[in-house]
Amino acid sequence: MPRERGEILKDLRDGVLNLDEDLVVRAANETLDAGYDAYDAINDGLVAGMNQAGNLFEKEEYFVPELLICSDAMYAGIEILRPHIKRSDAKEKRRAVIGVMEGDTHDIGKNLVKIMMDAAGIEMYDLGRNVPLASFVEKAKEVNAQLICLSTLMTTTMDGMAGVIEMLKEEGIRDSFKVMIGGGPISASFAKKIGADGCADNASGAVRLANELLAKSSAVRRA
Amino acid sequence: MNTVASIPADNQSSLERVMSYLKGETPQRVACFPLILNHAARILGVPIGEYNRDGKKMGKSHVAAFRRYGNDLILIFSTTSTLAEAMGTKMAFFDEDAPQISEPLLKQHSDLSKVKVPDFSKDGRLPVYMEATEIAVKEVGSEVCVSTVFAGPFTTAAALFPLDLMSRDLIKNKNWVHELLEICTQAGIKFIDEILQRKSLPIIVEPIGSASLVGPIHFKEFVGPYLKRLADHVHENGGGMPAVLHICGKTTPNWKVMLESDFDIWSLDNVDLGQAKAVAGHRVALVGNVTPSNLLKNTPDEVDEEARTICEKMGDKKGFILGSGCEVPINTPPENVDALINAARKYGRFDV
Repeated sequence: MPRERGEILKDLRDGVLNLDEDLVVRAANETLDAGYDAYDAINDGLVAGMNQAGNLFEKEEYFVPELLICSDAMYAGIEILRPHIKRSDAKEKRRAVIGVMEGDTHDIGKNLVKIMMDAAGIEMYDLGRNVPLASFVEKAKEVNAQLICLSTLMTTTMDGMAGVIEMLKEEGIRDSFKVMIGGGPISASFAKKIGADGCADNASGAVRLANELLAKSSAVRRA
Repeated sequence: MNTVASIPADNQSSLERVMSYLKGETPQRVACFPLILNHAARILGVPIGEYNRDGKKMGKSHVAAFRRYGNDLILIFSTTSTLAEAMGTKMAFFDEDAPQISEPLLKQHSDLSKVKVPDFSKDGRLPVYMEATEIAVKEVGSEVCVSTVFAGPFTTAAALFPLDLMSRDLIKNKNWVHELLEICTQAGIKFIDEILQRKSLPIIVEPIGSASLVGPIHFKEFVGPYLKRLADHVHENGGGMPAVLHICGKTTPNWKVMLESDFDIWSLDNVDLGQAKAVAGHRVALVGNVTPSNLLKNTPDEVDEEARTICEKMGDKKGFILGSGCEVPINTPPENVDALINAARKYGRFDV
């Protein structure tokens, strides 16, 4: 007799939250063996656990090491479950491009934001670090993203963020994208000054901001 | 607001002012440590890339910056990865920006045997630091406190091995991390000896110990104990010099455990400095914390206002040094550094 679906979901959640990748892998395989829905297991199990971890991160009970290992556990589970998602379940329409500004190689903050936004169901296109300004614009157009996320830790590279926004304006496509920015030196006043749509202070805040901005995005409504 | 007439004149030299703190006497006004690092190259007018690779230019840049600004502390510094660079991590250099890590020495755990305490006479750019230190001490050491800045063990370790992997190892591979930290600590102790020999003040920066990355549990296990060994070494060999620690970013959750490392001065960044005084003011003097990006982007009047607010938070201002939260950005307009130092003259008075 397979266990109740709820019990297995709890293991998926707890495994992610408690940094227990082995538990996640067991519960993911059990989900498939029992014939439960893979898409639900990802959302109600793995992603729910990652969101709880994000809450602890925001409350300063978890820090970067904990959050990274939680995400490793989540992705270990997703890898097992994803091939079994029915096509009609994959209804993702929200897409974001993310990267670290040209001249800056610090990417741990960007990686955390990417993980949390991915867990929030936003399809993420990660350009990595030290990304030329034009690449953000090109990629956003190419994948038909609605959101561009710019990260930097350094004061020498923060002006590149304004550069990306200028490029969007020059091409006459500024209104097609929401632009959010973040990183050590970034403040709300700087975001306003350069005409970004918002800035976030940490990975959890970034997810909230992304959800707000995407809800307002006409591109998402059209999709 | 910033008129010259409203700025009271100093009656102590920079060195006298700092010595007042160390002797437990009351200075005329609070000291001011804008953390001028690579920005010094702008004052001498040399490219950042040359400053970073030429000890003469680095030393002369800091002498020029002191002559220009009258800052109360000279900080010889290039990057937080300089010690790791001397141990084998590869850096990328830029004409107009500080170097950044391009390839950490360690790719996998089995590479640990490659890590050695560096030779300060030849490895990496350590000779650049040493020469810059000697020049600054020789030229202005009688007027101002000269310091040389290097990264603490945890930050050095994270520059020898990719940070995302090391973060996971704090939970999954603790012993390996401790072995790496041990060598980084020995390198740090050697650094302190080299700096003390040159009559400069060793300052330890540990940005990877920021609460933006690790919380109190990991700080207490992987950061604090190794920092304490460096602080102890300064106390035992520094002839009365204070042990100084700078951690950038957010640090509030870690203050209680940071106290256990036994430093005398903390330089803090993105925190409420008044709150830091309430938690740690009984043990440490506090340096901070005008927002670096505001130094770059704001007007002198806005800098003055931010500095005034910080001075007010510090109450009796005992054990307080006004400064920037982190590095003064390379392209900061000089009048904003002036505004910061003038704010110490205006709002940091003990003699009125």
